[in-house]
Amino acid sequence: MTDAAPSAVPALEVEGIRKIYRLGEVEIRALDDVSLQVAPGSFVAVMGPSGSGKSTLLHLMGLLDAPDAGVVRIRGTDTGGLDDDALTALRRDEIGFVFQTFELIPNLSARENALLPAEVAGRLEPAQARLATLGARLGIADRLDHRPAQLSGGQRQRVALARALVVEPAILFADEPTGNLDATTGEQIVDLMFSLHRERGTTLVMVTHDLALAERSGRVIAMRDGEIDGASVHHTQIAAQ
Amino acid sequence: MTDAAASGGPDPLAAIARRLPLPLRFALRELRGGLRGFYVFIGCIALGVAAIASVGSVSRSLVNGISEEGQAILGGDLTFSVIHRQLEADQLTYLDSLGRVSEIATLRAMARTPDSGAQTLIELKAVDGAYPLFGTFEIEGDGEAAGGDLHDLISATGEKPGLVADAGLAERLGIEVGDAVSIGNAEFVLNGLIAREPDRLGSGLGWGPRVVISTEALEATGLVQPGSLVRWRYRVALPEPASESDVAAAKTQTQEKYPDAGWRIRDRSNAAPGLRDQIYRFTMFLTLVGLTALVVGGVGVANAVSAYLDGRRGTIATLKSLGAGGGMIFRSYLAEILLLALAAILIGLIVGALTPWLAGSALASVLPVADAVPGVYPAKLLQALAYGVLIALAFALWPLGRAREVPATALYREHVAAVRARPRFVYIAALAAILLALIGLTVGLAYEPFMAALFVGGTVAAFVVLRLVGVGIMALARRIPHSRWLEWRLAVAAIHRPGAVTPSVVLSLGLGLTLLVTIALIDGNLTRQLTVALPDRAPSFFFLDIPRGDAEAFRETVSATVPDGRVEEVPMLRGRFVSLKGIPVADYPAPPEAGWVLRGDRGITYSETPPENGRIVAGEWWPSDYDGPPLVSFADEIAGELGLAIGDEVEVNVLGRPITAKIANLRTVDWTSLSINFVMVFSPNTFAGAPHMVLATVTMPEGARSDSELAVMREVTRAFPTVTSVRVKEALDTINSLVRRLAWAVRAASGLTIAAGILVLAGALAASHRHRIHDAVVLKTLGATRRRLIGAYVLEFALVGAVTAVFALAAGTIAAMIVIEQVMELDFAFLPLVAVGAVGGALVLTVGLGLAGTWRVLGRKPAAYLRDL
Repeated sequence: MTDAAPSAVPALEVEGIRKIYRLGEVEIRALDDVSLQVAPGSFVAVMGPSGSGKSTLLHLMGLLDAPDAGVVRIRGTDTGGLDDDALTALRRDEIGFVFQTFELIPNLSARENALLPAEVAGRLEPAQARLATLGARLGIADRLDHRPAQLSGGQRQRVALARALVVEPAILFADEPTGNLDATTGEQIVDLMFSLHRERGTTLVMVTHDLALAERSGRVIAMRDGEIDGASVHHTQIAAQ
Repeated sequence: MTDAAASGGPDPLAAIARRLPLPLRFALRELRGGLRGFYVFIGCIALGVAAIASVGSVSRSLVNGISEEGQAILGGDLTFSVIHRQLEADQLTYLDSLGRVSEIATLRAMARTPDSGAQTLIELKAVDGAYPLFGTFEIEGDGEAAGGDLHDLISATGEKPGLVADAGLAERLGIEVGDAVSIGNAEFVLNGLIAREPDRLGSGLGWGPRVVISTEALEATGLVQPGSLVRWRYRVALPEPASESDVAAAKTQTQEKYPDAGWRIRDRSNAAPGLRDQIYRFTMFLTLVGLTALVVGGVGVANAVSAYLDGRRGTIATLKSLGAGGGMIFRSYLAEILLLALAAILIGLIVGALTPWLAGSALASVLPVADAVPGVYPAKLLQALAYGVLIALAFALWPLGRAREVPATALYREHVAAVRARPRFVYIAALAAILLALIGLTVGLAYEPFMAALFVGGTVAAFVVLRLVGVGIMALARRIPHSRWLEWRLAVAAIHRPGAVTPSVVLSLGLGLTLLVTIALIDGNLTRQLTVALPDRAPSFFFLDIPRGDAEAFRETVSATVPDGRVEEVPMLRGRFVSLKGIPVADYPAPPEAGWVLRGDRGITYSETPPENGRIVAGEWWPSDYDGPPLVSFADEIAGELGLAIGDEVEVNVLGRPITAKIANLRTVDWTSLSINFVMVFSPNTFAGAPHMVLATVTMPEGARSDSELAVMREVTRAFPTVTSVRVKEALDTINSLVRRLAWAVRAASGLTIAAGILVLAGALAASHRHRIHDAVVLKTLGATRRRLIGAYVLEFALVGAVTAVFALAAGTIAAMIVIEQVMELDFAFLPLVAVGAVGGALVLTVGLGLAGTWRVLGRKPAAYLRDL
């Protein structure tokens, strides 16, 4: 099933992608012939029950994994022919991730965690200036020298958000970013993500179970059994699903 | 490094940190997590490096001591030694022209109390007034003679000359300072006990206590007869300062002036070549054992690194999702592992560097190189460092290479994402290069490369086979039929589960245990040879320096004392090889295993008929009335090693005369029989008219008691005071005692391997605790009692331990058999007590360590763990 959105050069495009996992003799068709385009600067929510393939879709779009068939394009670049180093560089320069379980490195301070993508890219100094601004904006400026174990869940997710944005990626992927947070904290996080998305024009693709969150997106992709279930819908039609 | 510093905060360290390469920066940050999980890693590497560094440093300390004391050990800058005779006058005049000269004589003799009630074999040394040219001869003394001067003490005191001796003489004869002692035909007074003999090390192995008399008094003993086994040494001290080149020049000049003198020349740079060679050989062996400990420790390294990187999968996956390449991840964790390895190596090097000081006094009692000042020996420490680094890399590279392949999706799909089972080819190639470097270093630096290569090959083979045994145990466990017995089912399942500790347990325990069994069996078999097998076959006595004219009387005396005893006699001379096939000995290409024959003096005899205990394998024996050019019968094995054949000519120097003989036949010689055996037996006409003594052996009848032996010794000494008696049992006891002391050193070194194995075992079992805790909690929740769980664990550890012990026993037995039969050419016997000890010890160790950590866990309430599942 294809989902199309109008765009000059899509920020993100997948075409006919397929992903099969094998567990011993069992074959799991995680994605089956999925195509969609995401316009630059848009906010897209991906929803679906467990096992629908939404996380797999996110991984493939985020170049964390490779499809068994189909094409993934990042800002018009076909990633199929790129080697591992090139994919890594593309991921580093164009993509930011926010995970449900934060995935901060425990032995590093919040500052070191946040600067890690820039450090890996060899662009530490400009990133330090950006972090100063981001830290203030995210309300974690006074916590940057603490280790993750010394931070609350919300603070950790803010650090993760800072990490995702410090290299100014074109696309931000968020995989259930509020899944491990209480409702109030989750809402704060989403508010921040949404604000930053709008201020910076970062394309935001978010996997979520949260209907209220999905309502704030411009477009919802519904997944079921590895396929896009129907055309993407605007938030006003979510309640009917 | 503070977090703020590493983050680039206002901290002096921050500036330094920023300049470090990214992988090193990341490695230092990862180390903030502490050393948990790395204690076994550090312990294993530190232990192995300490062993190698200690052995190397102590060895170098001893060898340096021998070199620094070369003049004192040798007794001069140069030594000229001959046997049976003294030097000619013109030779003496020549030596006098070189520098100061001291003449001494050494021989074995019998010392007895004047009433002949007690007697003992002694190492007799007669010295002139110039002795010692170097070093100090120190007397313990007693009463009036306390700390006295040697020459005062050994000069005539009233009618009797004096002597000084090792305390052993006084113990064996039951006498004190001031008492009388008879040697040969002369009576002496014991005037003092030796505290330090500066040239003792240069004399080699002694069979009895040292006794020192004057050369004037030696004549009175009647021990010096034509052909008697007296070695005369002439030590020369060149005018000071005498450099190495001065010594070499004097040596060359002397060899050119007297090419046929038949003397053996040694210089101070090689004062105790035999001892130095033995130190090198022993060092090599102990280094190899230390390296084995390091290899066993390498298993611990691999386990620790694998466990650590497994725990870092999330971090690695996160890094990859953030854009870190596999290369950066590999380099970062490699840097971290190397930092830890270097810290461990440093600990090992410090211990190794300190060992010569710590072991100094203990070693002095074994090797009296009293002035050996311990030092720091950079070359030996560097060698140990190289081994440590190579082992750490060799065992860490594989898990590091695999960690590089952890995909970003490991954040989500722990088991679905297919991770490469093997690292990339470049890491496998690097691993191969490291292993080759390790083998090259081991064999290249070894004193005997062939032995080192054998050892390395054996270790590699044991390693490979143990891996297969571990895999085999798991495969077998998988196929065992289902049982109703719960404990058995749990134990068998735990043996072959994914991530089971079985391969680690088998490897770590098996390697150390194999080495221990090998050494124990070799040691046991050598002891058996020395205390049972050899004594059964060897004669009871050797009697040396029997005058030819007294041979018949000697036989009658023995027969009268022990009528059923068997007496064998042969003429006895000593000579040195001068040339083989016309090639001077110095230039002859002799292989190392036959080199001993060409060094020093050899026993020589002549005979009309072939020896009874030999068999002619090539050529013909000469007729009993042969009167042609000299012929010689050669020991066939040594002839083969030296490349000699029937018809080849050998030249020997006997009593100062060169003798050239053609090899007429080759015969077998069983050296282990300890009966009268000679490398060369000449045709009788060769030594017609030459002065010589007779060598005899006496074999007591079966069942003869010790007092019968002592009676023979007493009667012979009384009737023939100049004849030297060597009681074989006592000689074997001396060797046995030396072998036992060496064996303890070897056992200590192999104990290190066991210690490393225990560390690794403990680490492997600790790493599996997480799974055990999980299983135990679930089973307890489902109703399994603690007793049943413990039963299952005991069974699991006992099964693995037992199989490992059986393998180690088999492998150790095979290795020991090869060494005993092929290298030492002795008969091998399996020793059951060793077998039981090895199996029992392995089981206790495995079960004990395995239960140690689990016991505590089983007492906890499940809820605390279930919350974390």
